[in-house]
Amino acid sequence: MNLLTLPLRTLRRKAMRTALLTVVFAAGICSVVALNYVSKAVGDSMEKKLTAYGANILLQPKVDTLAVGYGGFSLGNVSVDVKSLTREQVDKVRTIELHERIAAVAPKFIALTEVKGQHAAIIGVDWPEELMIKNYWGFEGKTPEAPGEVLVGSRAAATLGLKVGDRFGVQGRDFTVSGLLTPTGSEDDNVLFAGIEDLQAAMGKPGQIHFAEVAALCSGCPIDEIVTQIQQKIPDVDIVAMQKIVKARMYTVHFVQHLALIVSVILLLTACFMIALSLLASVNERKHEIGVLRSLGYSRGSVFSIFCLEALAIGMGAGVAGFLGGFGVSHSVMDMLELGKEATMHMEWWHLGVTLAGVAVISCLSSVIPAWKAANTDPSQALVML
Amino acid sequence: MLQAVNVSKSYGDTLVLDDVSVQVGKGEFVCVVGRSGSGKSSLLNVLSTLTRPDSGHVLYQGENVTAMGEGRINRLRHKDFSIIFQLHHLLPYLTALENVMVPFMNTLRPIGQEIRDKAAECLERVGLGGKGNRLPGNLSGGEQQRVAIARALVKSPEVLFADEPTGSLDKRNGDGIVELLRDLHTEGVSLVMVTHDMGYARLAQRTVVMEDGRVVDGEEVECVTHPKDAVAGEIITQA
Ligand SMILES: Nc1ncnc2c1ncn2[C@@H]1O[C@H](COP(=O)(O)OP(=O)(O)OP(=O)(O)O)[C@@H](O)[C@H]1O
Ligand SMILES: [Mg+2]
Repeated sequence: MNLLTLPLRTLRRKAMRTALLTVVFAAGICSVVALNYVSKAVGDSMEKKLTAYGANILLQPKVDTLAVGYGGFSLGNVSVDVKSLTREQVDKVRTIELHERIAAVAPKFIALTEVKGQHAAIIGVDWPEELMIKNYWGFEGKTPEAPGEVLVGSRAAATLGLKVGDRFGVQGRDFTVSGLLTPTGSEDDNVLFAGIEDLQAAMGKPGQIHFAEVAALCSGCPIDEIVTQIQQKIPDVDIVAMQKIVKARMYTVHFVQHLALIVSVILLLTACFMIALSLLASVNERKHEIGVLRSLGYSRGSVFSIFCLEALAIGMGAGVAGFLGGFGVSHSVMDMLELGKEATMHMEWWHLGVTLAGVAVISCLSSVIPAWKAANTDPSQALVML
Repeated sequence: MLQAVNVSKSYGDTLVLDDVSVQVGKGEFVCVVGRSGSGKSSLLNVLSTLTRPDSGHVLYQGENVTAMGEGRINRLRHKDFSIIFQLHHLLPYLTALENVMVPFMNTLRPIGQEIRDKAAECLERVGLGGKGNRLPGNLSGGEQQRVAIARALVKSPEVLFADEPTGSLDKRNGDGIVELLRDLHTEGVSLVMVTHDMGYARLAQRTVVMEDGRVVDGEEVECVTHPKDAVAGEIITQA
């Protein structure tokens, strides 16, 4: 028995009130925890999708072009000197300071040739890197593994009459169709994809790279910084950041996160007000009790603590319940949003610790006014007989 | 030992205590009587540190209580003074025994066996030895008041203040309570009791009669039966 006995017994005696307050507070904490987890998961998955929806930085050889036009008619650009990239240049992207941010560097080699007597474009790609950038691709068949295996875009397959397992020759080299792409709605539908080294060898241009796509992970993205750093490593290459897409996507993520934050704050404030109001009522109701305690030599501090501890006890109960509830809720929400696979959440004890610490501060704050009022109750006034 | 010197107190425009001086000796039993609203409770509150007077001061063992800081006043209330009210003001959610221990629940330090034993002893003393585990709601009015007395006793106070301790009890229960208080007094505790009952006032060594915030008679108990002051006589005959 000590100072804690008084608030704890009060809570037990007013079980209904305690339960209601705990439920409201726990609901607030639950939503905050769930919103926090979900918005983090959404952010993570957006980040993953960012790479999924392709590259956000483009490396091109510097092209000296001359705009040709006369009398208001544009006749297009005339390439004076077509250069290409080298493997070494492309590999340097991974040596920049922010290299952890680089998810994929996908070099491309483009070959315009004939397949089964028809004109066709074959793109030479680095399979692992390309598949990371294009992880929205769907297949019929399987991804190429052995040299000489190719993927065929849906429309190209229709035009050329190619099926999985078909073979064809390009410049005297044999290729096998290992898979067909399901329609993507992009340029990928019109072309064929082969291993870059195979294709370079077939075309007799080993090491030549026409352009490369870079996917950088961008949450609060220092994309300008990344571009600058790449530019410094490979000054003789054109680097274009597709910032608009990135910014638009990050805007969505931040919007969701801000919304979650605002809703959380409102929920917690509401819970705080409920606790404060209920404690205020309780202080008025227990005026005599406070007066007696003061007449028995309890200091203002002790009386203050009694009410503070009462709020704190509710807060701790609600904190644990709310945290576990929020964790569960965020799981089901993520299953609903089908984010479960992309973003895995882990229950970490320090999350619970941080939550409880926050809740402790909040519940103490919400009890400050009632507790202050209790502490300043004049014992002689409180005990006046009516 | 306890002394109010020229104490005045007013609430708004009403002067509740008007230049009152009283004295309580060590081990003395003093009764305060007077009409309703004459300022008896106010005087008791000033003496027991619950109210600070507007002017004048209270001396306890030679020290000026009125000038003391919060901490020292809390210590006085905690150790030297005990107050019993007309209503027992027990905490409804604690058992009788726990209520007796309440004075020692003011810190996070757990209550030791020594205090538990003492609390049980005090309950025994007020005749509630077997009812320590009951909640106040399951005790009669007289029993509740006894628990309040045990709660006052457990601190081993120097001065015991009682503001109409029998006010909400019937005659038989009231007699029991006053009997108990008188026993305590004979054990050396100073006792200041406000009462309406002249029968009880007669038991005191000294009676203070109050009228409109002033002390009109502070003589030996004999004077109560032969008042020299007309006002005091009137009050006493009324009471
Ligand atoms: N806290 C207060 N605020 C305003 N007026 C008060 C307060 N306490 C007492 N009074 C007034 O002071 C006067 C004296 O009150 P007090 O309670 O001391 O009288 P009392 O002699 O104890 O009366 P009773 O026998 O009814 O208990 C009364 O007129 C009362 O209305
Ligand atoms: Mg009174």
